[in-house]
Amino acid sequence: MADELVNVTIDGMPVSVPKGTPIIEAAKQAGVLVPHYCYHPSLPSPAVCRMCLVEVEKAPKLMPACVTSVVEGQVVHVNSASAKKAREGVLELLLINHPLDCPICDQAGECELQDYVFQEGRAGTRYAEYAKRYSPVEDFGPDILYVPNRCILCTRCVRFMEDVADAPVLNVSERGDRAYIGISEEQKLDHAWSGNVVDLCPVGSLLSKDFLHKARAWDLDKTASVCPGCTQGCNVSIDTRDDVVIRIRPRPNLEVNRHFMCDYGRANYRWMNRGDRIEAPLVRDGARHTATDWDTALARFEQVLRGASGSAVILATGRASTESLGLVRRLVDRFEVAAAVQVPLGEEAPLSGVPNLALRRERAPNLAGAELLGYTPQWAAAMRQALSAAVVIVLDADLDQADEAALAAAPGMVVLLGTVIADALRNVELVLPVTTMAEENGTYVNRDHRIQRYQQAKSQPGMARPAWWIAGEVLAGPGPSADAPSTAAEAFELLGERWPVFAGLGHGDIGYTGRVLRTGSAPVPGRAEGAAR
Amino acid sequence: MAIGVKVMRRPEREVSYVRATLKGMALTFKHMFEPKVTMQYPEQKSTTEWSISQRWRGTHRMLTDEQGRSKCVACGLCPQICPANCIKLVPGEDEQGNRYPLIYEIDEFRCVFCGYCQEVCPEEAIHVGVHFENAEYTRGRFVYDLERLQSQTHAVSTLWDPSDPQGE
Repeated sequence: MADELVNVTIDGMPVSVPKGTPIIEAAKQAGVLVPHYCYHPSLPSPAVCRMCLVEVEKAPKLMPACVTSVVEGQVVHVNSASAKKAREGVLELLLINHPLDCPICDQAGECELQDYVFQEGRAGTRYAEYAKRYSPVEDFGPDILYVPNRCILCTRCVRFMEDVADAPVLNVSERGDRAYIGISEEQKLDHAWSGNVVDLCPVGSLLSKDFLHKARAWDLDKTASVCPGCTQGCNVSIDTRDDVVIRIRPRPNLEVNRHFMCDYGRANYRWMNRGDRIEAPLVRDGARHTATDWDTALARFEQVLRGASGSAVILATGRASTESLGLVRRLVDRFEVAAAVQVPLGEEAPLSGVPNLALRRERAPNLAGAELLGYTPQWAAAMRQALSAAVVIVLDADLDQADEAALAAAPGMVVLLGTVIADALRNVELVLPVTTMAEENGTYVNRDHRIQRYQQAKSQPGMARPAWWIAGEVLAGPGPSADAPSTAAEAFELLGERWPVFAGLGHGDIGYTGRVLRTGSAPVPGRAEGAAR
Repeated sequence: MAIGVKVMRRPEREVSYVRATLKGMALTFKHMFEPKVTMQYPEQKSTTEWSISQRWRGTHRMLTDEQGRSKCVACGLCPQICPANCIKLVPGEDEQGNRYPLIYEIDEFRCVFCGYCQEVCPEEAIHVGVHFENAEYTRGRFVYDLERLQSQTHAVSTLWDPSDPQGE
């Protein structure tokens, strides 16, 4: 940003942008959208769609805004008569072979062709007698379908696979009006990040099989969230319809994931829609559990904690929020504590074109946050200690059968703060229903110590509450108390009292693109430290 | 105390019922010889003078293609436009990979018969019908499923055409 600034005027709006900025980005600064198809901020620009042609004063003809850099004193007209006429012509040509099957197209409602034709296309066609070219739907890979008829050949998908994913399996085959996106023989579009071509496609040509015919774009409610898949912490939007998560899509954050997310993260939403959730607090009454209200359950929890002495163990899921992990940890401050966070491991899958972006080996979104709060990933050790501890708090961990059997036989009091309950754990002292990350507000700290907020995307089942609420109520003591946090932001403020790394920071400061925490350790190289909103 | 009654003295021809009766009967008998305008409703549904408007918006009908399948492609525009929120639609995919409605239900009790569904339909599949005899024995029967909508045979509404406001 220390670069030289140049002053340009776009549609009458003066802006100063760094030298070398393309006109299309300068126009964004001026609040003018230049219609475009092939241009994408995270991909190289080939200027093939000719949609972003704009009128530049003193230039002999219209200039493509995506590859023309701004020059001092330049005057650009995006919405002049000649630029509009050029765009109308481009749209007319694109529609010659476009099937106009919007009623059955999954992209309808978020289709750039639909938007721009509606905005500034011709009202009628001059190609009524012309038979549209037809090619059958092709299967490109595990989750991707290609509908050649709808393709406008912007080549975003080709460039993504070639320049960003570094797996050049797509190409433009044939030429002229017969051209289509081809796939190399004997190859599949099965790269770990290939799902991004569906998002990049401005029309409904590349479709996700998972999302096919599932929902209309306008039915979906989009919620800003963070991917719970791995320690990378990609920013995502959770799309829901009638309280059911339908899909997960990337949300741009230039500091973390640019515009991309991996296929693992995309498919990782089915657990959010589980129907077999615990909906009411259960207390043990002899040999069986009885459902009860929160007052009774919280009083029982407090009793359990007050009655025990010695050591306590927390077995937490890696998907727990910073707020929940912190307040649950504070519950057992009186004890000798072993706190572990569960970190499933998987294959690392980097996206080579973007530095420091990969599907990480550690498949827990809040590992760094848990470590800041005194948790360790030493699961087996904590499990062993649980067998002799006075109190064991299980925070929504996915226990395997051996773990369940061990906990069922543990001599101490076991309290389960969970979403589902296994049969083997029918004898635990107390079961408290908690929300998943899709049902609460909270924060995750990613591997670069960037703290990021996620928001509630769907309602919680029954009486389930966030774990920080349960811990906060118990910490505040019995009865109604003004000290107990009632929102995630208030819970977060309580963390700062005990862990200085969170002090002076609130949910409002974190914003929607996160903020890098100032921890004692050196920042990760290649990543700017400090606030970027 | 005696109640005083004032007796009005009116001419005989003004208070006689004979004259009024004859006048009334004359009107009655006059109508017997005039053209009849009553329609014998259940037996007779329309007459040359009166028939239901072609723009009438009544209970729905789903049109079908030559193979007898519904024309609906489950695009979702009618549930979206419906001001009464009375259309339930779940899209699915058939063996040929075509999109079609797995479930298509209209709750005719909720429907306000605005005709927007017909107007918005890109496939000219759903229509409001020229029909008004909807009585049923149970409330549940008023939720029309796809099969019922397809089996209706009444005429479909032409709606109001802005280019032809008089309907000529």
